[in-house]
Amino acid sequence: MDSSAPILQATNLHKRYGATTALDEVSFSLYPGEVCGLLGENGAGKSTLVKVLSGIVIPDAGEIILDRLPYHPRNILDAKAAGLSTAFQELSLIPTLSVAVNLFLPKPKVNALRLVSMRSLEEEASAILNQYGITGVSPSALIGDLPLAARQRIEIVRAMLQNPRVLLLDEPTAALSEREWLFGLVDGLIARGTSILYVTHRLDEVRRLCKRCIMLRNGKKVLEASTAGMTDDDVFSKMAGRSVVESYPVRESSINDSAPPVLEVRHISAARVNEISFAVRRGEVLGVVALEGQGQSALFKALVGLTPLKQGHLVVDGKRVVIRSPRAARVAGLVLVPEERKSEGIFNDLSTAANISIPIINQAASFDFIRGKRERRLVERGAALVDLHSRYLPPNIDALSGGNQQKAILARSLLTEPKCLLLFDPTRGVDVGTKYNIYRVIRTFVREGGAALFYSTELDELVHLCDRCIVIYRGTVVAEVSEKELSPHVLLSLAAGHASEATQSMITANSRNGTSR
Amino acid sequence: MSQSTRGQRRPIPSSAFAALLYGIMFAIYLLYSPSAITLAGITDLLNNTIVLAIAAAGLTLVILTAELDLSSVGVIAVTNVIVATVSTKVPGGAFITLILVCLIGLLVGLINGWLVAFLGLQSLAATLGTMIACQGVALLILEAPGGEVAAFIMNRLTDTVFGFMPVAGLILLLAVAGWLLFRRTRLGIAIYAVGTDALAARLSGLNVKATKWLAFGLAGMAYGLAGYMLGAQTGTGDPRISNSFLLYVFAAVAIGGTPLGGGRGGVIGSVVGAGILTVMQKLLFAVGVAEFYTNIFNGVIMIVAILFGNLSAILSLRQKAIMSQHRDGQLVPN
Repeated sequence: MDSSAPILQATNLHKRYGATTALDEVSFSLYPGEVCGLLGENGAGKSTLVKVLSGIVIPDAGEIILDRLPYHPRNILDAKAAGLSTAFQELSLIPTLSVAVNLFLPKPKVNALRLVSMRSLEEEASAILNQYGITGVSPSALIGDLPLAARQRIEIVRAMLQNPRVLLLDEPTAALSEREWLFGLVDGLIARGTSILYVTHRLDEVRRLCKRCIMLRNGKKVLEASTAGMTDDDVFSKMAGRSVVESYPVRESSINDSAPPVLEVRHISAARVNEISFAVRRGEVLGVVALEGQGQSALFKALVGLTPLKQGHLVVDGKRVVIRSPRAARVAGLVLVPEERKSEGIFNDLSTAANISIPIINQAASFDFIRGKRERRLVERGAALVDLHSRYLPPNIDALSGGNQQKAILARSLLTEPKCLLLFDPTRGVDVGTKYNIYRVIRTFVREGGAALFYSTELDELVHLCDRCIVIYRGTVVAEVSEKELSPHVLLSLAAGHASEATQSMITANSRNGTSR
Repeated sequence: MSQSTRGQRRPIPSSAFAALLYGIMFAIYLLYSPSAITLAGITDLLNNTIVLAIAAAGLTLVILTAELDLSSVGVIAVTNVIVATVSTKVPGGAFITLILVCLIGLLVGLINGWLVAFLGLQSLAATLGTMIACQGVALLILEAPGGEVAAFIMNRLTDTVFGFMPVAGLILLLAVAGWLLFRRTRLGIAIYAVGTDALAARLSGLNVKATKWLAFGLAGMAYGLAGYMLGAQTGTGDPRISNSFLLYVFAAVAIGGTPLGGGRGGVIGSVVGAGILTVMQKLLFAVGVAEFYTNIFNGVIMIVAILFGNLSAILSLRQKAIMSQHRDGQLVPN
């Protein structure tokens, strides 16, 4: 193959949705055996571009040439037939079907009677899982029973299984905390001449994998450059259209020890949570560090009453509270920003404004009739807290990018005037600019007397944002790390459950500090 | 790695609970009507079950794709009067009518599917339309109850074969066997996938529209067969099959553990659900409950049956919790 000829060449792609232009004259090329990064803020048009290339969205104008042939996919099968496959950000797996069946959709192998043999499918799937280094997942397990991270791995493997010439990975590490697994697979694929378009928010991933990257902003291509020559500052300023010098807000301690802790968790146990105790003080961001599936999700759910406590109790502002539902949690002052934004966070068919005002709609109502003006004032106040532009308020929330949806969820949470925000990976699938915004909102919230419990899959975030971190391993707190000792290295080794001697001694020192408080 | 956790992971299907309930109700029925256990008694019971069972089996296919289908009573009305008018008029009428009702059912089903899948109409409204239209067609064919059903259909299909097997039972067994095979076809898997998450199914490369279209088509064919069997049971045609039958079809599906949301459940549960509803009628009759009260009992027992079916959901949730703890222990961080 002539290595200088692009395998995929898109020219002047254009796509409009009503008044918004999702793609504006986008042209780019992908060469054989390269990983090309696709960067951009949320709403920049990355997902639309991926969907156009996958045949899910038909562009209004523009040409695509794949392997020297004109390429006009009408659906995902056309794309597959042409040698292009996609691992989607929103995960295209079917929860009620098994891992094995999902891997081989849409056409699982059939025997002479046109029947699908589950046994041979599962055997084949087991070999594939092995080959791709996925452990601890049974091929007969239902997708819906697996944690998000395992589902994302299977989504990625399924796309790779097609032996595509062009592979699109849309935010493939959004739910993964062990990224090296993916990087290894990507290295293997490009060695075999596969071309990969790698959509991400994470600059370090682009630097690790891509020689070249392109960047979209507001549907336009604003940058095409080799990664070696770019500084982080270049990228941030191009992406956001402004210069971002520091990517984390200044962390000045605002902890107030004179009052009782805002949230005290005393020896709670629930499904997958074993005897956890900690306290979040006024003005503190307490980080939660854990690898995939260590019970952190169960902990957050137990705190807002989504799963029952088997033992232990919660104390809010020095008063013992009983929480059996998220509503009761909200009354007590605990508000969860949930893990799965799409299914747990938003009401798809409602406007962004309605999504924001839902928990406090009573404040805008007289005699149960909602007063439009009052609602609008409330919503605008909330939107201002999170820097959400008012033009995003009237449309349905599912028309918004992930980052703006997350801002809306934060606005909703803040409007209920919580005492303690419970944030479960709030920056997952969110662009750099919005991330910075979210950090700022969290710091502002605690500075003004709130408290926050913050779980993230990104260690960097925890290190820069939190006043203190607890480490959860196998459903229980195994360590507490103070601000001075916070570093990605320390957190990772603790989270993996095998602390080195040095960190071990530090933990004991810390936990002593913790208890003497 | 990945040791199979098959045995403990598969939740108990809700059809198992429906079957248990069926056993209990049948036992009570036996107390009042001991002759129910004879071959004649069983044949009679199955004959009474089969129309509802086949219709419910068809509806299940549509509900699994997360759509609704009200057209069953319309199709049954049309095919029932076809049986009562055509089967005696042509040679080999029983067989020809059978083909005819299947085609009519398929046609109506494909129209439903086309309206819903390709034109994007709400399935409730679209199938309500075809139901009413079909009822009108039935009145055109036969304006009042009557007609005549071929003796072969009336006698052979309500009898037994091989001296021990009621024909109705054989048909139900074939239907269940057919379903077990169908579940393992690509279309069968696609129906579950589409009903669970249509977007994910599309992103997985499945043809969502064609899947729904075919599910409606197959359902229509089942309704056609149900109309045919109704002719066999009653020996006449009746263009005005009662609309309350429609509710029983839905009830049979619900009792069998197929939720309206789609993606879960299956045909076997619906067949058992139809059985439960039929035994219930028989039981109330045998006990001698006054007609005024039967509806009350019907309703209450129906709710109990659905509660019963939900037991399986609760139990499988528990199982899930245990499983996830188990998985946690297995997890190997690196």
